Amino acid sequence: MPKDATHAPDTLLDVRNLSVDFRTPRGRVKALRDISFPIRKNRIIGIVGESGSGKSTVLWALLGLLAKNAEVTSGEVRFGDRDLLHASEAQLRATRGEEISVVFQDPMTSQIPVLTYGRQMRDILYRRPNVTTVEKRRMAVEMLGKVGIPDPDKRIDQYPHHFSGGMRQRAGIAMALLTGPQLLLADEPTTALDVTMEAQIIHLLQDLQKELDATVVVVSHNLGLIAELCDDVVVMYAGEVIEAGEVHEIFHNAQHPYTRALLECDPARIDDVSRKLPVIPGDIPDLTKPLSGCIYASRCQRAMPICRQQTPPTITRGEMSLARCHLLDGPHHDPDWPPPLDVMTVGKGEAGARKPARVKRDDPLLEVSDLNVQFETVGPLRARLKGITQRHVDAVLDVSLSVAPGETVGLVGESGSGKTTLGRTVLNLVPARSGSVKFEGREIRNMPEGRFKPLRRDMAMMFQDPVGSLSPRKSVRALITEPFQIHGISGVNLDDEAERLADMVRLPKPFLSRYPHELSGGQARRVGVARALALNPKLIIADEPTAGLDVSVQGEILNLMTDLQAEHGLGYLVITHNLPVVRHIADRLAIMYLGRIVEEGRTAEVFNRPVHPYTQALVEGVPQPDPDRRRVHVSISGEVPSLLNRPKGCDFATRCPYAQDRCRAEKPPHVTMADGRRHACHFPLGQ
Amino acid sequence: MLYYLTKRLGLSAVVVCLVVLVLFSLLHLIPGDPATIALGPRATPEAIARYAEKMHLDEPVWRQFMIYVANAATGDLGLDVFSDRPVTAIIMERIGFTLALVGTGMGWAMLLGIPLGCLAAVKPNSWLDRITGVFSVGTIAVPSFLVSIWALLIFAVHLRWLPAIGAGEPGDLGDQVSHLILPAFAIGLSWVGYLARMVRASMLEVMGENYIRSARAFGLRPRRVIFGYALRVAILPTITLIGMGFGGMISSTVFAEIIFARPGIGKLIFDAVTARNFPIVQGAVLVATGLYILVVLISDILIAWFDPRVRESL
Ligand SMILES: Nc1ncnc2c1ncn2[C@@H]1O[C@H](COP(=O)(O)OP(=O)(O)OP(=O)(O)O)[C@@H](O)[C@H]1O
Ligand code: SF4
Ligand code: SF4
Ligand SMILES: [Mg+2]
Repeated sequence: MPKDATHAPDTLLDVRNLSVDFRTPRGRVKALRDISFPIRKNRIIGIVGESGSGKSTVLWALLGLLAKNAEVTSGEVRFGDRDLLHASEAQLRATRGEEISVVFQDPMTSQIPVLTYGRQMRDILYRRPNVTTVEKRRMAVEMLGKVGIPDPDKRIDQYPHHFSGGMRQRAGIAMALLTGPQLLLADEPTTALDVTMEAQIIHLLQDLQKELDATVVVVSHNLGLIAELCDDVVVMYAGEVIEAGEVHEIFHNAQHPYTRALLECDPARIDDVSRKLPVIPGDIPDLTKPLSGCIYASRCQRAMPICRQQTPPTITRGEMSLARCHLLDGPHHDPDWPPPLDVMTVGKGEAGARKPARVKRDDPLLEVSDLNVQFETVGPLRARLKGITQRHVDAVLDVSLSVAPGETVGLVGESGSGKTTLGRTVLNLVPARSGSVKFEGREIRNMPEGRFKPLRRDMAMMFQDPVGSLSPRKSVRALITEPFQIHGISGVNLDDEAERLADMVRLPKPFLSRYPHELSGGQARRVGVARALALNPKLIIADEPTAGLDVSVQGEILNLMTDLQAEHGLGYLVITHNLPVVRHIADRLAIMYLGRIVEEGRTAEVFNRPVHPYTQALVEGVPQPDPDRRRVHVSISGEVPSLLNRPKGCDFATRCPYAQDRCRAEKPPHVTMADGRRHACHFPLGQ
Repeated sequence: MLYYLTKRLGLSAVVVCLVVLVLFSLLHLIPGDPATIALGPRATPEAIARYAEKMHLDEPVWRQFMIYVANAATGDLGLDVFSDRPVTAIIMERIGFTLALVGTGMGWAMLLGIPLGCLAAVKPNSWLDRITGVFSVGTIAVPSFLVSIWALLIFAVHLRWLPAIGAGEPGDLGDQVSHLILPAFAIGLSWVGYLARMVRASMLEVMGENYIRSARAFGLRPRRVIFGYALRVAILPTITLIGMGFGGMISSTVFAEIIFARPGIGKLIFDAVTARNFPIVQGAVLVATGLYILVVLISDILIAWFDPRVRESL
């Protein structure tokens, strides 16, 4: 884009040739290189890209709030007649929160815990000296009401920890909109939220944008969210904008091979679960090294020799549409590119290598029946003093579940539904109150640790946060052989074992001498898998195996898990809230709500014909990566009640669109249907 | 809250009882006749007999303990061996001096140390931060009795700016204040270092929190962000430190009071120990313990007041 281009009148903010470096001990990280894109008035613009592509850096650069070690090396950000990159601190402060405001990724950590919302919102309005405190409060209450906080005039005096995650994000939106900004920036606004909450927040943003005539920038790596919410899309890769355009252009007629690959990798888009998930092999390039040619060349499925030498041309289509690739113009122009959307351009998605048809065995590996787990919430003395009679909450209530060898069972539910507790109880890390847990037919519930320990070899856990659960001072080699030491297994050659395991999880040998902080998210996850596999377990309990991974890497891990299952006949219990993911790997699904399993059955059936209203809400709650399939309404409202006040009748009655009087009075029992599906609903759907 | 207070007061009572028990056992563990030990070798036989009766020494030890505790509960800590005056009255005369000293010492340390730590954290690696760092390490390393002696030598003896010893004329506030300056300086100095370091560390941590970035992104003024947001959270661990440090502060008053010849609990205990005046030692240690427990309680309540999450978990 030429420097002197006068921007169109409907451009609110124009980013031109922005480059940002970070000074680090490893050298200069060229985090943004020559970024240009317009933000058009009254539109919602989405910025997508993998982790580390520079999405957040763009947002912080707009606000002048880059980290201290950042240096803007070129460019300008035109906002009206100002250049925000070269504005004074005082000017910027007048812009931040007033004309440009932000909604943050994690509402749990981005709101100060020791001040009430009233106080925080009054502080934001500090630039209005002639508005009285009473008036400011009224404005804040009104805004809280607008974003859907019930009883705003009472709740405004509460602190962030009194609000649930979804409510906090609503309050965060209210804070950002309080001053009536022209531009609202939202950095991963729903990543920290559950599926049903996410759908609600997406619609809230959409409605507010229309109502307030605001312009919104949403940063996300969730393609579904972008397709559902945005008008314009900017695709970033490794610090460059590689493609931009209107949402339909991007999702239906993507020009750049990377955009294509991203779309093809999204599990939400792939209906054929018999194939492996496609992946984009390789990693994002090291931005401290000198870069030349096309930034995507090392991973591109169409890379040509010229790609590594020459910067690709920028092809502009419309007002804001652009793509940078040699295939689109110049001597290497390929008139057949891009192929129609149903042609896969990344790794064909090999068929067949999926699991062999399982022999139906009678004896399950794991069998949980009527399991109950309670947690104490108040001590006996305090309960006496405060007159509390209900000292416990039911974290897991009457759960029955089984996993056969070679089978994958997905356990799905929102946060607080008891999924992780169930997993931990099976592993005897949490005492159960009643019920039974059988492993290979043997009762193991509340078994003393001494007797249970040998069983831990047969059942392994894959933890949710791979980097956090790996000791930072141990090398990968030490980490993956640690289980041998924990179980005091001698007589094995640890080096051989380390290599065998690294091989199994396709981790290149040189990685064995690295330390956890030197691994990417996907590699750390592999180490987690290797550790779980070390002692040849029969059952693996995987807690959110792909949380926080990019779509391109997520597929790798899921494919790896499937391969290992086929090779070793492992049984998996996959705990997750990510429906598209379990849909690809699970044979059966169990849906949990407030500690109870509300529906259980074969994955395809549960997806295609949910019988429980909650399952239906979850399935419909997944945003589709297709702007033509936007949902018009949110299927369920409200949020998960606290375990402390479990509804008397059906747990879901407070949110269920079909709830009737009976639901509020009686708890629906578990019913097994003719096809083996089980549910807990008085009025199952489609019956 | 009520539950919390009840629990805390109950625990405090237990701690106080344990302290009394230890003090008691000490007296009885030393071989020989407790009365002779308590009164020292110079005591007359009549005094010993009177003491034995007064202290119920003919009763079994546990009875004596019960009697002491019961009396202490009503404010009766026994009689001074030498003057026969009630121990409580003697302590009450002195305690004001100690409280003034500790209060002033901690007060100036807080007034200087907390802002220093804050500023150092806001501009890490600036010259102010470096100076604060060196200063903190220096003052923490020097024991307060050395500071006392040097301060006395420099400011009182050599420069003659301030009075050297005593607590000043009763009733003359100016004189009392001028007598307070040097000892308060001496016992507070290392606390400036402690507090600056502590506040700096927790401020640095808090300044990296997401909610500080949010406050900035909403365009709040730096002053408001630092003092209204960051310090409000960063101060919490410091309050606990101050509460706990109070005990150390009381022990450093012993030196300061001896060196500056100030009346006060520290000096009282020291004199009583040298003179083997047991009822005074017992009483004074008990009162000091009580004070310490009270201060820790106050600091916990302050934290609860600053932090709603703590308040609600009480
Ligand atoms: N303060 C910093 N110091 C050094 N490097 C940084 C800093 N902040 C970001 N980077 C680097 O800049 C690049 C872009 O980071 P950025 O956070 O903008 O990515 P992102 O697209 O927002 O990723 P994510 O999806 O993980 O949030 C990355 O390579 C990152 O490692
Ligand atoms: S320029 Fe070459 S390497 Fe880059 S995206 Fe296009 S085809 Fe792939
Ligand atoms: S029992 Fe009633 S409230 Fe519960 S899910 Fe079924 S219809 Fe809804
Ligand atoms: Mg980011």
